[in-house]
Amino acid sequence: MRNLLNFLIRYSTWFVFAIYVLLSCILLTQRDDYHASVMFSSANAVSGSVFRSASTVTGYFNLLSINRRLQESNASLENEILNLRNQLAEYKAIVSDTVDVRSERRFDYVLASVVNNSTRHPKNYITLNRGTEDGIQPGMGVVDQSGIVGIVNVAGPHTSRVISVLNETQHFSVKLKDTPYVGSLHWKGMDPNVAYMEEVPRHAKYNIGDTVVTSGFSTTFPYGINVGTVMNRVKLSDDNFYVLKVKLSSDFKALSTVRVIKDIYKAELDSLTKFDIITD
Amino acid sequence: MNKNSIILIVLFPVLVLLQVLIFNHIILFNFAVPFIFIYFIIRLPIGLNKNILFTLSFLLGFIVDIFSDTPGVNSLSSLILSAVKTPIFYAYVPRDDKTKFIVPTIESLGWQNYSKYLLTMSAVFCFCCFSIEFFSYASIKNIALLTLGSTIITFCLLYGVDCLLPSGKSAYSS
Repeated sequence: MRNLLNFLIRYSTWFVFAIYVLLSCILLTQRDDYHASVMFSSANAVSGSVFRSASTVTGYFNLLSINRRLQESNASLENEILNLRNQLAEYKAIVSDTVDVRSERRFDYVLASVVNNSTRHPKNYITLNRGTEDGIQPGMGVVDQSGIVGIVNVAGPHTSRVISVLNETQHFSVKLKDTPYVGSLHWKGMDPNVAYMEEVPRHAKYNIGDTVVTSGFSTTFPYGINVGTVMNRVKLSDDNFYVLKVKLSSDFKALSTVRVIKDIYKAELDSLTKFDIITD
Repeated sequence: MNKNSIILIVLFPVLVLLQVLIFNHIILFNFAVPFIFIYFIIRLPIGLNKNILFTLSFLLGFIVDIFSDTPGVNSLSSLILSAVKTPIFYAYVPRDDKTKFIVPTIESLGWQNYSKYLLTMSAVFCFCCFSIEFFSYASIKNIALLTLGSTIITFCLLYGVDCLLPSGKSAYSS
């Protein structure tokens, strides 16, 4: 026993080093584990409160560019409302009585501020100042005034962590606007303004500058949210599919206020999916 | 408690906060990231008990990891940096009684030796950090670019920090 103790004391440095290396490796391999994320991520209570305090100062940065983008978005929305009103007036003139048009809203939004954000890692995350107490749950989509931002991954009581579009592990279902062609949006690192739309069918027709929007195939994002615009086609050895280079519409380096999307039908749709699995 | 210990106690939280609140958001030309928090490991006295050195380095990296959402990356890189700190130091400075418990600063080592020590330490940390984070041969170009850019910016930043802080020479060297 004494020999063992002597041995341990003599080589304690090596043991300490080995233990810390082991701990680091466990942290590295468990990074996608939800329970580990709750404790060891920017959404935990301590780091969340530090980021929230700091954002009371940093929240004022980039206000000029954000304001300009909001004004642009406001102008285009006002235009759209005007067009829709005109269309509605025309239709009402043709059909005087409409039968039970359901005007129920499917998606609800929670406003949140970005308190921490990164764009330089291969796996980037965003921290928001809203959590489960504000109705945020993992799996909800996050958008800003320009386009999609990410998906909520961990939700604490007052803060939540979002997997950014700028995360190599994440794919988003997107389509070319006003066409039936669907693809998968994937960010490949380095440039925070550029992502790739993969698995676009070979027969799909597109033009440079075409808008890419969300496909609406999941409960995370409704159809038609801006993602970006087509820059060019990337050459691939696989001839069956295109890969399109997409300029992302959101400025990830200047994220400030975002909206978290709540799908009111989510529980219903999820229960249907579970039923499918059981019958298999 | 000597002057250098007080400086180190203050530096630990200050460097962590500076890193996570400011320097984590700075990326120059898309491939230069400044790592200010490793100054704490660089400034720890040579000859410090290895167990304490490893524990402090791991804790430092671990806290930065939690705030940066990069679990394990900075912890492991800081740990490797602390393990190679003494060999790197003695690669540039002669091993004798004078340097046994020295605090590495510009004043105690001279700007030439300190620059070599600081540059090697910055390069080792940046290489470890990006290699662990990307962890694929496909990203070797990115790793090389990021390591080069970040080493230069980290070196300049840490050299400036060392000039600003009071020297720890009086505490250890004779």
